[in-house]
Amino acid sequence: MDPVLIANGLNISFEIVTLALVAMGLAVTLGLLGVLNLAHGEFVMIGAFCAFFVQEQGLSYLWAFPLVVIVCIVIGWPVERTIIRALYSRPFDTILATWGLSLLLREIVEFFFGPGFNSVDQPVSGTVNIFGADYPLYQLLVMLIAVVLIGALVAWYVKSSTGRRIQALVDNPDLAKSVGIPTIALARNTFIFGLCLAGIAGVLLAPIVAVYPGMGIDHVLKSFFVLVVGGLGNVVGLVVGSGVIGGAESIVAAILDRTAGYTFVLIVALLFLWKKPGGLVSR
Amino acid sequence: MTDKTRHISRRSVLAGLAGGASIMALPGGIGTAGASNPFKMGTFFSLSGPASLFGPTQTACNALAVDEINAAGGILGRTVQIVPGDGGAPPAEAAKTAVRMMLRDKVDVIVGSHDSAVRQAIVGALKGRIPYVYTPLYEGGECAPNTYVPADTPQQQVRPSINAMHDSFGTKKIYLIGNGYVWPQQTNALAKRYIAEFGGSIVGEEYAPLGPGNKFDDAVTRIKNANPDLVLITLVGGDNVNFNRTFAGFGLDKNIKRLSLLLEELTLQGIGPKNGNGLFSCMSYFSAVDTPANKAFKARYAKKFGEKAPPLSMIGVDAYSGTNCAASLINKAGSTDAKAVMAASEGLQYKTATGTGTMTNRHVAKDMFLAEAKGAEFKIIKSFGKIGHGEKCSV
Repeated sequence: MDPVLIANGLNISFEIVTLALVAMGLAVTLGLLGVLNLAHGEFVMIGAFCAFFVQEQGLSYLWAFPLVVIVCIVIGWPVERTIIRALYSRPFDTILATWGLSLLLREIVEFFFGPGFNSVDQPVSGTVNIFGADYPLYQLLVMLIAVVLIGALVAWYVKSSTGRRIQALVDNPDLAKSVGIPTIALARNTFIFGLCLAGIAGVLLAPIVAVYPGMGIDHVLKSFFVLVVGGLGNVVGLVVGSGVIGGAESIVAAILDRTAGYTFVLIVALLFLWKKPGGLVSR
Repeated sequence: MTDKTRHISRRSVLAGLAGGASIMALPGGIGTAGASNPFKMGTFFSLSGPASLFGPTQTACNALAVDEINAAGGILGRTVQIVPGDGGAPPAEAAKTAVRMMLRDKVDVIVGSHDSAVRQAIVGALKGRIPYVYTPLYEGGECAPNTYVPADTPQQQVRPSINAMHDSFGTKKIYLIGNGYVWPQQTNALAKRYIAEFGGSIVGEEYAPLGPGNKFDDAVTRIKNANPDLVLITLVGGDNVNFNRTFAGFGLDKNIKRLSLLLEELTLQGIGPKNGNGLFSCMSYFSAVDTPANKAFKARYAKKFGEKAPPLSMIGVDAYSGTNCAASLINKAGSTDAKAVMAASEGLQYKTATGTGTMTNRHVAKDMFLAEAKGAEFKIIKSFGKIGHGEKCSV
């Protein structure tokens, strides 16, 4: 096969998979709980800084994974208790509150690490030759891990009893509570789980991108488009939405340029909001 | 731990300076009790926005220059006082701040280090009524009345460096990549002329939207297929980091040289020590410049701010040279009258961090340097000496 075609195919796959990776946590908090967490990108940023921090301490990159889960629980628990829980039925107030949270988190990280750029070394370096196309080994690994994570999430949601309880919670909170599902604890754990997914995405992306306090917005913006296109309340929508947004952008970007790709994504998102606000995979 | 404390105090230095200066800037003379009739200098540094990582260095370098100017007798015999504004704000907001500085604070001169959109807004707001000194690097062509531009121009940055790369490495096939706004596009338009001068060719040109960070996997794939000898980069900030990391990640750094036109110490830190192979930068300042003037400058800077000083970089140190430029300009003119200042600008000599700047046509001939990324630092590989700016503003 033509190496150029292979290279483009790998780029498009990487775009789709990393998009789904970042949107995954958002699909949980927004799709399942109905909490539009504008601080989602900041948890991606915190994940990236966890990777930077462990490397700066001379530790292995892998320590960033347990660290980010701990950090997300330590931040997520009080945030859910004090801010989110009171606002579950008030989506607009949630937007304002989480926007405030995003500013706070950015300032805190900037206070400790400074406003500048940091770099995280790739845990594995070098390129591998895939049918004639040289591709970074680390990015290949990120794709594999992300696919496994997304697959596990879908399987867990569809198969496990917790997944079914969340489905019940989402479909009818009052009924779920009356049949004995601990809705408060379940909602809290689901929220924190969404944050942890964002943090893990940040750890995985850190070795490829610019790590700085304002990086959240770089990664989260298109995740919202993914959910607009894919639809809420179903993890399958995440995969479909990432495919449409990531695929459309990188195909147009490969043919024309980045500006055309970005414009195309905005048009697609607008058309969906206008003509199909429920997304492709509705609840 | 030392790193942590450095960052904290970098913030507190900025906060302290900005806070102190804004108290001084209060109307009604609360802060001016000690200094009768101060000379007010409005500043536009990046206190917020994507360029805010440069803010602490800009503010510190400006403060150092003001200290030195005041110690030498001030401007027109008056003590210099700073009225801070945010150059990282959107252009319309910066324009409002400029009007406020002019009408309410009655500043005597404005010094700014920020992007070109904000410069155009400030120029539009001031309409030449007070002298305005614009200091970083830019696309050239700013000839508005009473506006003085010590900034690096494309003729200073691109022409010597692209020729030096051609001489040293035989780079003839060149790929242009930048962000889609005025500075990269106009700089590349001039770069094409300079490339044609030595018989080089352009094998590709593309622009990524300015805004949230871009991925560059597809651009790197296109570059690989175009097979250039050199990539001329006019990406800024996070995009410059992302591009160079992806470029090295795909292994293109082994065969293709890179020349970036806005690459200083802070951006290099984000690119990382492992991704800088064959990466070059050309500007009028690098912390690594090994001249007696820069050594003395760095010693004075370290003495004032201690070990916790914000890191030195071109965007930041430009504020030191620009502040000196403004002071020398007004002192030579003997007043802030626009005609007198315009006349005084021609042939003006003033102190920069690396030596002396000479102003003609309201732009500055200055020493330029070509540096190569070596790990986390720059190594100066060529000093071009004084390079003309190529601008033709009337005085």
